[in-house]
This record gives sequence, structure tokens and C-alpha cells, in this order.
Amino acid sequence: MLIDFIQQIFNGLVVGSIYTLIALGLTTIFGIFGIAHFAHGSVAMFGGYLTYFLISALGIGLLPSFILAMAAGALLGIVLERVAYYPVRNAPPINSFIIALGLTLIIEKLNLLAFGVDQVIIPTPLVNVINVGGVTMPELRIYVLAIAAILVIGMTLLIQRTWIGMAVRAVAQNRAAAVLMGINVNSVSMFVFALSSALGVAAGVLVGALFAVAPGVSSGLVIKGFAVLILGGLGSIPGAIVGGMLLGVSEAFAAAFVSSAYKDVISFLLMILVLLVRPEGLMRRSSR
Amino acid sequence: MLEVSDLRIGYGQVEVVHGVSFNVRKGECVALIGPNGAGKSTILKTVCGLMSPLGGSIMFGGRSTAGEPGHRIAGLGISMCPEGRQVFSEMTVMENLQLGAYTRRRSSIKDDLDEMMTLFPRLRERAGQDAGTLSGGEQEMVAIARALMARPKLCIFDEPSLGIAPRVVDEIEQTLLAIKARGVTILLVEQSVSMALRVADRGYVIEAGLIVLEGSSAELAGNKNVQNAYLGF
Ligand SMILES: Nc1ncnc2c1ncn2[C@@H]1O[C@H](COP(=O)(O)OP(=O)(O)OP(=O)(O)O)[C@@H](O)[C@H]1O
Ligand SMILES: [Mg+2]
Repeated sequence: MLIDFIQQIFNGLVVGSIYTLIALGLTTIFGIFGIAHFAHGSVAMFGGYLTYFLISALGIGLLPSFILAMAAGALLGIVLERVAYYPVRNAPPINSFIIALGLTLIIEKLNLLAFGVDQVIIPTPLVNVINVGGVTMPELRIYVLAIAAILVIGMTLLIQRTWIGMAVRAVAQNRAAAVLMGINVNSVSMFVFALSSALGVAAGVLVGALFAVAPGVSSGLVIKGFAVLILGGLGSIPGAIVGGMLLGVSEAFAAAFVSSAYKDVISFLLMILVLLVRPEGLMRRSSR
Repeated sequence: MLEVSDLRIGYGQVEVVHGVSFNVRKGECVALIGPNGAGKSTILKTVCGLMSPLGGSIMFGGRSTAGEPGHRIAGLGISMCPEGRQVFSEMTVMENLQLGAYTRRRSSIKDDLDEMMTLFPRLRERAGQDAGTLSGGEQEMVAIARALMARPKLCIFDEPSLGIAPRVVDEIEQTLLAIKARGVTILLVEQSVSMALRVADRGYVIEAGLIVLEGSSAELAGNKNVQNAYLGF
């Protein structure tokens, strides 16, 4: 029983770390722009497809492909910010809401046009399975967890410890005051979209290696991402980390001990429960 | 240093500042006074680049800044301590001060941080605390120190004593005098007109978006209309 318990925690953390990667981008974008960037899941899938394409069609190695895809994701993020969201930055929120929906459809269809309708699995050489005291840990899952952890820690340090990270937080908290400090809000906006989209692509690649890259996956990812935001608190980075892990682990428990058919139901019940007890999310100060 | 001529500013279609001219010379402290809604904050926001004027010119250090983006104007050496303090409430006092030096982020700011903590000993005690948890007076000190961290050529204050306990208002007056004594050029908007005229060298009286009177602080303090309207004689 204890072994099962630890096994499910491990499984949950692996999936939860991917949710966290998605949610970090969504929460940072929400913090700065106040927009629900629904297209984030499609950006993630774009990255997954691109990595598969670089490996299978061009024969580039797994790691370089991963890094190239993240760089392409960062560029795509900047394009999205400039072309789609920047023009409506001063308009009522409904405008960016509609643009986010339209963008989701556009990127989804572009993925289909560029990469086809087939689901693909990103090939990895990681086939070993490690067994620690009865807990089964496939090598691939350990790598996924480690890569996600490195990215999450890197992002947190960047936001907490560097000038650009401080600028991002300043713009999120008080845009006018940030301008008075000499912060270029335009550069910060592009930086946030680049960083968030690169992390989204990373999530897409990890999903593609672990499960599959497929047209239907993006909406699932983005829904889970927003569930994490609501759990952890809108705009909160610690919230995205705690929320992502909590969602991943509770889904794993639900699938293992109740029924995998009910795993989404149970994770959404959890979300409703958190909202009832702490409407502002787990990691958000109640003063706001 | 700052030369504003015939400045007109509006919100949407409504013009609220109707051609205002004033100047601030290097090393001076100049006050803008006037009733609520006269357009003082609007003028300051425009000088800082948070708003674009409808017409007129703003010259700072010999260069036209009207309509330039705010972050670039900050980079030229204009700092602002805004109305209502506007501290970054979910960041620590220390981070707020660091952000004040954002335009100088490529040089060392350690000495400046130390200097501010000496000027405001209370901020040293609270350096690690979120700015949003401080009292109004303490937040005002954060906002002032944050503005000074940029080592500005011109430092603008918008109602530093607004909503602050009378005892702390005296403290803020002393602080403004200390900042002036360091040779910082100051443009000050202050509801407490007696305080403004004690600190400033010269002043302009603004009513309904127009300058109606200007002169040295002594002249203004001796003016019958100013005494009746603002000094409560
Ligand atoms: N965001 C805004 N939108 C529309 N009108 C505004 C806005 N802000 C200020 N105004 C109007 O512009 C005029 C000048 O306002 P401003 O804030 O510059 O006055 P002020 O002199 O700073 O007053 P106070 O002493 O109350 O701070 C007022 O009539 C005000 O109603
Ligand atoms: Mg005002």
C-alpha cells in the first residue's frame, strides 16, 4: 500500500511538473496583460511537432532539437505578442479574449497544415526502467521530472533575482510606476511572451516524449493549465508550482485508487473545493 | 533645466490644462499650487511621459521630451514620486529601492541603498518586509527613497503629505529640505501650501488649468488672494 502510494506520488509529480510548465507561462502572461492566453496549448503542440520534425526529417539530435524548438517557441511568442495582443493592449478586455480564442484556432490549424493530422511520439533513447524498493521509475519519467524541475527553478530564479525579472514583477504590480522607474513595458511584454512560450514548448516536447503530440492534446493542456492557475492563484508563480504538483498528484491518486475514467472529475472537484475555501487560490494573498 | 511652454493636455476629448508655461532652473525648488482638480497631477504626468500633451512644448536639458515614452524620460534623469505613493506593494522595501535605480542597473547601487537607509532609518528596519504592509508614512518614504535612487537631475513630488499623519508630515518637510540641500532640483506639488512655500524658492498658482499667479515663495505667501484661498488667514 505504501509502495502504491509512493508510486502514485511519483507518477503525479511527473505529470504535475508538465502542468506547472504550462501554468507558469499562463500565469505570467495573465499577471502582465490580464489575458487568458488560450493559444498556449497550441503553442506547446507546435513545439512538440517541430521537435519531432527536426529529429525525424532533418536527423538533428534530440537535445539540439529540443533547444531549437524552445528558441522557435520564444520567437513565436514575440510574434504573437506584437501581432495579436499588442494592438489591443488598451482596448476593453473582451477584445483580447476574442483574439485569444481566434489565435487558438489559427495556431491549431497551422499545426495541422504544417505537420499533418497524425499523432506522433517523440523518440527517445530512454527505455530503461529503474526499480527502487518496488517503485517503478521509467528513466524517461525521471528525465522529464528533472528537465521540468531545472526549467521551473531557472524561471523562478530569473524572476526573483535578476533585473529583468524584477522589471516583469514591477510591470505586473503597477504598470505606471514601472514606467516611472524607466522600465520599457514593451520590452517586458515581449520578454514575457518569449519566456512563457519557450516554457510552453518545453511542456509540449515532454508530453510528446511521454505520451504523444496530437491535434487534440492542446485544449486538454490549456484547460489543465488554467485549472492550476485557479488552484494556485492567478498571476502567482509559487501558486503555479504548488498548484501544478497538487493537480498532477491528485489525478494520479484518482486514476489509481478510484478509476481513471474519473480522474478529471476528481481533479475538478478539488479545484471547486479550493475555490470554496480560498477563493483567491492557495498562494495568493487575500488582500487583493 | 525644465522649460514648459503653452502646454495643453486633455483626457479623451476634454481639455483640462489650457496652455500652461513654467520653468525650473538647475538647483531650484519650484512649487505648483492650486485647488483640487486644477490639473497639477495631469501636468506632472505629462512631464514624466505617462500622458501625451495635446499641444505645447516640454524641453528638458535642451531636448524636447513632449510625447516621449515615460521610460525614456526616466532615463534622461527625471524621477517622480507619484500621487498616492504607488509603491510595488508585493515587493520588499529593498526591491522597491532597487527598482528606483533601474536606469542605473549597470553600475553599483550598494552605496546608494546604504545612503537611503541612513536617510530613512525606519526603512532599514523594514528592508525585507513587503512595501504593501507598511504604514502610509512609511510607504511615502519608500516612494521618496525610490525616486532618489535614480540620482535624478530633476525630482518631482506629487502631494507627498497626502493622507499622512500630521507628525509624519513634519518629517516629510524635513526630508524635502534635506533633499534640496543636496542640490537636487525639485518640482513640488503639495496640498499643504504653507509647507510648499516654506520648502520652495518659487511657485506658480494654477486654477482650472491656467496659471493665475507666479512669484517667489515670499511674494506668494504675502499675496492677499493666496492667503485667503490657501493659507487660511
Ligand atoms: N483619468 C482621468 N480621466 C478623465 N478626467 C480626469 C482624469 N484624471 C483627472 N481628470 C480630470 O482632470 C482635471 C485635473 O485633474 P488633476 O488630477 O490633474 O488635478 P489636481 O490638480 O492634481 O488635483 P488634486 O489636488 O485633487 O490632486 C480634473 O477635472 C479631473 O476631474
Ligand atoms: Mg493631483
